[in-house]
Amino acid sequence: MAPMIDPALFEQLKSKIEEDASVRKELDQIIDELNQHVSFTQGILSRVHSTPRSKYAPWLAQVEDGIKKEVETVGKLASFASQYPYYKYNHKWTRTLQDAISTALLCAWLGGLSESTKPGDVGRLLTLEDVGAIFSVPVNLKDRDAFHITIEEYLLGLISVVDDLARLAVNSVTLGDNALAVQISSFIKDLHAGFQVLNLKNDILRKRVDSIKYAVKKVEDVVYDLSLRNLLPQGEGQ
Amino acid sequence: MSGVKRDWSGKLKRDGPKPAHPAPARNAFTPMFERLRDELDEHHDRRERIVKLSRDITALSKKIIFSLQRVRKIEPQLPKNIQDEVDARLAEIAKLLAALAPEIQGLNRYRYSRSLMCLEELVEALTFAHYLKTQTLIRYEDLCATVEDLTRQGIAAVATSSEDQVMTDAADGPKQADATKPDPPATVSLTQDDYLYGIFDLTGEMMRFATTTLALTGVLAGSESSTSGDEPRTILQDMHDLGSFFEMLPVGGGSRFQWEKKLEVTRQSVQKVERLGYDWIIRGSEKPKGWVPDLSALDQGPPEEDE
Repeated sequence: MAPMIDPALFEQLKSKIEEDASVRKELDQIIDELNQHVSFTQGILSRVHSTPRSKYAPWLAQVEDGIKKEVETVGKLASFASQYPYYKYNHKWTRTLQDAISTALLCAWLGGLSESTKPGDVGRLLTLEDVGAIFSVPVNLKDRDAFHITIEEYLLGLISVVDDLARLAVNSVTLGDNALAVQISSFIKDLHAGFQVLNLKNDILRKRVDSIKYAVKKVEDVVYDLSLRNLLPQGEGQ
Repeated sequence: MSGVKRDWSGKLKRDGPKPAHPAPARNAFTPMFERLRDELDEHHDRRERIVKLSRDITALSKKIIFSLQRVRKIEPQLPKNIQDEVDARLAEIAKLLAALAPEIQGLNRYRYSRSLMCLEELVEALTFAHYLKTQTLIRYEDLCATVEDLTRQGIAAVATSSEDQVMTDAADGPKQADATKPDPPATVSLTQDDYLYGIFDLTGEMMRFATTTLALTGVLAGSESSTSGDEPRTILQDMHDLGSFFEMLPVGGGSRFQWEKKLEVTRQSVQKVERLGYDWIIRGSEKPKGWVPDLSALDQGPPEEDE
């Protein structure tokens, strides 16, 4: 009579599992590389807290170089990962990719990554589509199974930027750039209102969105301190 | 309903979330967020539908397994009453699979795989039924084909019943048929993980089956010794085969933790059946016909009315 387990079945399953393991290994390598570029770029970006706006130009150029490296590695990741079901491995790189998105969003907000704005012309928010264009990968794919940036990744990346900007509001005052604090305040308040438009489920996005209110409070306190002392720039505040 | 909410001055507060914040004022980003909201809603709604279908499929699969545990013998034909029960449940599952299929195509297959635990349960039911009929483990491709067939049957069943209910006018009928023809209807695909984790659970069912049959019939389930030529094989050997099968496989998909946990349960099931085999050999010959062993120490299904 037939054996309990077809010997061919075992070999087939085994080789599939081994293949899966080698895909994971390869992905780990690419993601490691991306991680290095991302944390380096984040490191340069952290100088925003001690750099006056007049000196943004040379510094943002460095940031852009870092982002260029990120873009290259994301390209590598995209072409490798697109051979496999996207959501099978997405969890492996999603955190790193969110951080990469954050660096691009913050750089652009400070006036980088653009021909039309100069460093220091703050306030530009990259859309999901803009971010996709910068990393030259598709976004929010629905019709085919390939690498792309998801809406969640974009929004989570954006929330990290909000936290960074709240910190910058404090430091910009220390640097004597009160106008920047006020601009940050109105940007964060608008974003906060934007996030309230979303219908969130009880997931990671919900948790992170809930944290925005603390950023709002932080910058509002800064603006309040400025207004108390008549330090608001002309034409701003009430 | 909780109590009535009042504000600081004692005035009644209106229902609804955050009455203090009316609709947030629109700003430059509002349109973008509204677009993203619609996209996210689509995703959340789909997941909700999948979760509901998955729960129903899981419940029906469990009922199939319960019916199969009433089988007393491995033989090519299940007893008619049990086969009827299984068929009826499968027909229901088929319809649910037909509804599920379009939701989990392409990109979405793995996107919602965590909400698709029902497939493991279905694998467990189908592999168990296959084992009881053939005493073999169904191959992955064959099981995939079975599930695809089921989905197609479900699609056909849903189509005919909706034709019965809705009196479509003559103009609509043929047009719909044309529209569905070029695209073969979407079916539910099993991943290798669904298969492997389903088989992990199968070992538990086999252990329960071995225990019950030995207790009630006094024979360790297996092939009839009358099978010409070949040596008869008992469920104990099959359990050993499955045990070694999993021990030899590299740690498969999903998390290592989950895999090891399942493997440990399988090891225990194998050992329980080993103990049964021992008892059967050592005491089986001494035992007077019709004697029922003390079952209190053995893992067994719920008490059953036997014919």
